[in-house]
Amino acid sequence: MDDAQLLRSMLAGDEEALALLYQRRQGAIYRFALQMSGSTAIAEDVTQEVFLFLMRDGHLFDPAKGSVSAFLLGVARNYVLRRLRVEQLLSPLGDDTDEDGPLFQATTDPCPLEDLTRAETIESVRKAILSLPAKYREVVVLCELQDVSYEETAGILGCAIGTVRSRLHRARALLLAKLRPADVEDADSATVKSARCFA
Amino acid sequence: MNSEKFDEEMLTRELRSLAAEMEQLSAPPELETKLREAFRARRVVVSLARRQTSSRYWWAAAVAAMLLIALSVIAIRWRSEGVNEPRQAQTQPAPENPQPLKNEPSREVVKYRPQSKPHRVLNRSVRRPQNSEVANHVTREVATDFIPLSYMNVASLQDGGQIVRVELPRSALANFGLPVNMDRYNEKVKADVLLGVDGLAHAIRFVQ
Repeated sequence: MDDAQLLRSMLAGDEEALALLYQRRQGAIYRFALQMSGSTAIAEDVTQEVFLFLMRDGHLFDPAKGSVSAFLLGVARNYVLRRLRVEQLLSPLGDDTDEDGPLFQATTDPCPLEDLTRAETIESVRKAILSLPAKYREVVVLCELQDVSYEETAGILGCAIGTVRSRLHRARALLLAKLRPADVEDADSATVKSARCFA
Repeated sequence: MNSEKFDEEMLTRELRSLAAEMEQLSAPPELETKLREAFRARRVVVSLARRQTSSRYWWAAAVAAMLLIALSVIAIRWRSEGVNEPRQAQTQPAPENPQPLKNEPSREVVKYRPQSKPHRVLNRSVRRPQNSEVANHVTREVATDFIPLSYMNVASLQDGGQIVRVELPRSALANFGLPVNMDRYNEKVKADVLLGVDGLAHAIRFVQ
């Protein structure tokens, strides 16, 4: 039974269809919301809101426009962005991305130092993603972390595939700039400056 | 990490690592329980709402049907009154001149509109005569076609005007080439004279 059939059954009142659909899709929605917001509380709220929306307005799903998964991610995106706007208004000075601490524990690695370094690197990447503007963050989350195709991403974001590609390219450049050590950046910029001076 | 330079390849690797690390994350189990409860509650609310909606629907339909019937009755009465009023106005003699003089022909004036220009029928379900004034005469009386007077042509009849009911000596029939019953030669005959907008008599028809 595919997602669309489950959705139809759920709308017809089948509770088990809801449970099955939830078990299939909640992980992706939760992770997407978590990667976009950096907050487990927001991720939980968004996941709940998405499935409540599906119960209420699931008939809005159009199979011609994409899969149920893409539909749910699109709904989740709207809820996340709305929630982030509210959070931004409520706590303008807060650096709330760290409020929940590290989102995952380091893996059990035989070498503690390597384990620590790896966890530190991943945490840096996560913070760098969270610091991106929303329009770049969402393409990184969808294409790089959620492994959604460019076409589906374009459908979720409501833009052209070319836009997705260009945003992803720009997002990666921004991430590289953020993750590079400060001294390396300074050295690069110094080289450029001197070259300009002697040109 | 700070010691090594981040390049595209490393970024891709680290992003994959992050995705793999987060792969196991999922919403807490109690969320499913809450959603199931919400689903059951919603199902009950929806079924109740449907019942209320259906009963409301029947009430609304009944009220609408009654209103429709009442409006139809009012419309039919109004139309029948609208048709009767001009007929009464025509049949009542004018109060200023209750009895016509014997020397002058008696007159009744009605508006004439040429039948070649039909009125727009607003309600096609109720068929009304195109010219109710003329039709009243037609239904109660037998009349000849309008005969254009000698100095007018048939085309001038299309301009409209007023019909004046007159009584003429029966001998006048002969002037228009109509047969005259000699037994009733002294009697008078009714005729409708069509006066144009210029005040001239354009045509005449004889009525029995």
